[in-house]
Amino acid sequence: MRVRKSLSAVAVALVAALAATGCGGSDSGGSGKTTVTMWTYPVIVDEAQHRAYWDETVKAFQAANPDITVKVEIFPWANRDQALATAIAGNKGPDVVYLIPDQLPKYARNIEPVDKYLDDASKSDYHENVMQSVTIDGKMMGAPILTSAATPICNKKVFADVGETTYPTSWNDLLTLAPKFKAKGYDVTAYAGDSKQTLNQTFYPLLWQAGGDVFAADGKSVVFNSEAGRKALNFVKQLVDGGYVDKGLITNVPSIEQTRVGQGKVGCVWYVPVAEVEKLWGKENIQAVPHFTETKQIGYGTVGSLAMLKGSKEKEAAGKWIAFATNAENTKKYDLASNFFSPRKSTGALWTDDPVLSVQEKQVSASTVGPLHEKARDVQGVLFPEIQAALLGKKSVEQALDDAAKAADPLLG
Amino acid sequence: MVALPESRVRGSRPARGPVRRPRRPSAREAGTALLFVLPFLLLFALFRFGPAIAGVFLGFTDYTIGGDTSWTGLENFRRLVDDPTFWTALRVTVVFTALSVPLSMLASLGMALLTRRAFRGAKLFRSIFFLPVVTSLVLAGVVFTWVFADGGPWSRAMGALGLPAGNWLADSALVVPALVLVSVWSRFGYGMLILLARMQDIPAELEEAALTDGASAWQRFRYVTLPQLRPALFFVAIIETTVSFQVFDMIYVMTGGGPVRSSYSLVYLLYDQGFKYFDLGYASAVGVALFVMTIVVALIQRLTLGRDK
Repeated sequence: MRVRKSLSAVAVALVAALAATGCGGSDSGGSGKTTVTMWTYPVIVDEAQHRAYWDETVKAFQAANPDITVKVEIFPWANRDQALATAIAGNKGPDVVYLIPDQLPKYARNIEPVDKYLDDASKSDYHENVMQSVTIDGKMMGAPILTSAATPICNKKVFADVGETTYPTSWNDLLTLAPKFKAKGYDVTAYAGDSKQTLNQTFYPLLWQAGGDVFAADGKSVVFNSEAGRKALNFVKQLVDGGYVDKGLITNVPSIEQTRVGQGKVGCVWYVPVAEVEKLWGKENIQAVPHFTETKQIGYGTVGSLAMLKGSKEKEAAGKWIAFATNAENTKKYDLASNFFSPRKSTGALWTDDPVLSVQEKQVSASTVGPLHEKARDVQGVLFPEIQAALLGKKSVEQALDDAAKAADPLLG
Repeated sequence: MVALPESRVRGSRPARGPVRRPRRPSAREAGTALLFVLPFLLLFALFRFGPAIAGVFLGFTDYTIGGDTSWTGLENFRRLVDDPTFWTALRVTVVFTALSVPLSMLASLGMALLTRRAFRGAKLFRSIFFLPVVTSLVLAGVVFTWVFADGGPWSRAMGALGLPAGNWLADSALVVPALVLVSVWSRFGYGMLILLARMQDIPAELEEAALTDGASAWQRFRYVTLPQLRPALFFVAIIETTVSFQVFDMIYVMTGGGPVRSSYSLVYLLYDQGFKYFDLGYASAVGVALFVMTIVVALIQRLTLGRDK
């Protein structure tokens, strides 16, 4: 009987402990302090440097706001949407989170607009295209802290081996150079076509350069199967069919060092960030060039912003933190530490002395973040396999784009 | 050679004396046992059963992250029926399972037979064969992507044998067989271990009797070993089928569902809908369809492989 009673006591204690852990969780202690939690990602690649940056910024903020504690948590880029979406669904999301425009439409219902937390001077300091990239239904979904311009980058060493001294500025230049590169055992460029790539960086820049777009102006239908879309896809197909790019990347893109890009066998790429090839090519071998020109000179660039979640219980404190972290002075510091560009006019150009970043910085105004449409990702989901089908010769370019449009339009309601 | 009647070996029983019926535990003993398993039961209910029920419920709603949720009845399931991507994913999943499960079971059985006898190094071989089971599929996927690459070891070996060379992962017709090979490699060790454990539990007298009766090695396997393995084979079949229906991580790493959705599985569809497009109601409906499919196949397996004599 004694054993039975003891077991019962243990079981009750265990259940009570489980119940207690299940019911736990509180942001603020009893000290009267308010706690703001921010989730961000390795924008500054060196983790120690990134941590030090935010520690210093938080310290400066707390000196002016002693009643607010800020916790900055740095998570890996991989699977960030799963983690964030799950946290929001479980009402355990952070108060503030780093988001890019690709994410904003999907999280729009969960985001508290930041307009009222930023003063007019601060808002008018943003470049116009930057403001547009974070604005949905007339409201600012986040306070921009950085911008980028994913311009093509070329490998100087490859060009030297091929005996070329001029870098391409248009599709035509690429097609002209392609046979010469092939003859020397190099690819003039590369196209990444697997589902893990965002079309914002791979196919859409070509579509925009050809004068096309993804969605119609009213957002109720897709228009990528236009003349411009066919021209863009035909251009990639020409590269594939001519053997001027690595065909394997159409279906699967391994880590960069396993690709011909990483192995220094490719002339220029427009979808790979400088940071990814710097260690493989050597910084001295990177030549950034302006976005390619076809009908238009345009390319992809992102805008990183700090957004407040609707579920935040400390909106005022979170708003103060966002305004502080994204003010002109901190933005400049952050962008210099992370090798990005400023979204603000007042900071001026940050990289005039850097041979690579100065070229890209000048292209920020010619960059776009891609469509801010709630179904933008869903549409990419139906378009990428059709692009693969066209590039692998399973469908004609026209058929592939029309089939993708047929599958995409019903998604838009 | 004398054919061995099946009934003769089936009816054999080891000479272990009269079999006693197990004593029924008293209510007090049952209560104590329940207390011991209670923590697990609670955790299971909380983290497995609860979310599963919630998932089924969500399949009947238009739940998206942070949005208003309303009851939509069978709407998500109607969408499934009309969605060509669902049928593509279903076909890929069924083909993958139909190839992967029998091959994996055959490999498991073969390896279990090879390593069942005590010989020098038997334990080492068993450990080596089990190694892929505990190897990260993501890591293995990265390595196999290189193995299957154009000009890689697999492509060269196939070319030398006069079989289709090139990158199997980039070929719509060969991508699923390539994934099946990786799946079998990663899973056969688990089945081997289960079957090996059961084989070692088969009374030696049965085989000895068959041997005395002049049964060949094949006959001993067919009429003695195989019938005794039936419960273990049923278990392995169920586990392998469930794992195959849920194939995802390997595909995510190796093909991204391509080329042209040739390796796009149901769980990949569920992942895309849930975590890429945040259409969690629809993703849950995909999960429900997968659950129903798994149950139906498990019942069929129960009726065939797992039926009582």
